Amino acid sequence: MQSTETTQSTQTKPNGPVAASFLAAGIGSLVLGILVCLNELGGDISKFLAFDKNYGLGSGVGALSGKSILAVLAFVISWVVLHFLWRGKEVNFGRVFAVALILVAAGFLLTFPPVFEIFAPKAA
Amino acid sequence: MQLSDRELWALIHGMGLGALFLLAFGGGIAGVWSLRSKLVTPEGLQERTPRLLVGTTVMAVVAWLTVIVGTWIVYPWYRAKPPAGTADLAKFPRSLLLSSPDTAEWHNFGMEWKEHVAFLAPILATAVAFATIYYGAQLVHRGEIRRAILVFFTLAFAAAGVAGLFGALITKAAPVA
Repeated sequence: MQSTETTQSTQTKPNGPVAASFLAAGIGSLVLGILVCLNELGGDISKFLAFDKNYGLGSGVGALSGKSILAVLAFVISWVVLHFLWRGKEVNFGRVFAVALILVAAGFLLTFPPVFEIFAPKAA
Repeated sequence: MQLSDRELWALIHGMGLGALFLLAFGGGIAGVWSLRSKLVTPEGLQERTPRLLVGTTVMAVVAWLTVIVGTWIVYPWYRAKPPAGTADLAKFPRSLLLSSPDTAEWHNFGMEWKEHVAFLAPILATAVAFATIYYGAQLVHRGEIRRAILVFFTLAFAAAGVAGLFGALITKAAPVA
């Protein structure tokens, strides 16, 4: 069964572009989680993430504007870069997917309030 | 019986786009799951592949529209700050929730989780849609890709499910009106 699937796999398109999209999704998820935590620190980072005030992108959205836009940009840019790197190539999909899954799990974890609130300054 | 603009957009966001994504998940996951050579004939594969391509693409587009409408149209109404001295907070849902210890956690936990985790759904659904479009009927021969699609599809559903659940509960406690 395994050998059949391996043989058939060689007759299909190379998996590089799909691996690129999955890994990019993981990168986008992780970046979102990191930005959520950084925003909790407050100060200049939090002010910077208010893209609605800084760049007029979405009046009243607050720091979520910056967090979401930067996470989506990380997803798209990393996808484009990885796509061109792996275009036409057969990569170790299992390993790439495992990394992508870890990054997505980190994204889920870091967007969970009890986790990202750890980064909030403690009240005096 | 009429809806305000805000109620209409909240309805489009939650009951329209969000619910469509969650409802379509069952069909999508079943379609990918059964895309195996031992389960479908070549004729069956030709018949169901276009439906799967359209289905996963529409789900990704719907997921993006859901977070775009939610974040850029409905969310500013939710978090609008009331003018000083405002007694009736009905038009300021975030402030209304935070005004009582009994409801504050709907914002501090529910909304804070929902507004962030929701963005994982379209990102993951886009990767799923791309993989499905890229391989098409060849997915039947790529078990590892098919399994990865199932995992990402399920995670996208989980993210959308959390967002949808808290969206409904928060709307019940403090509707955007």
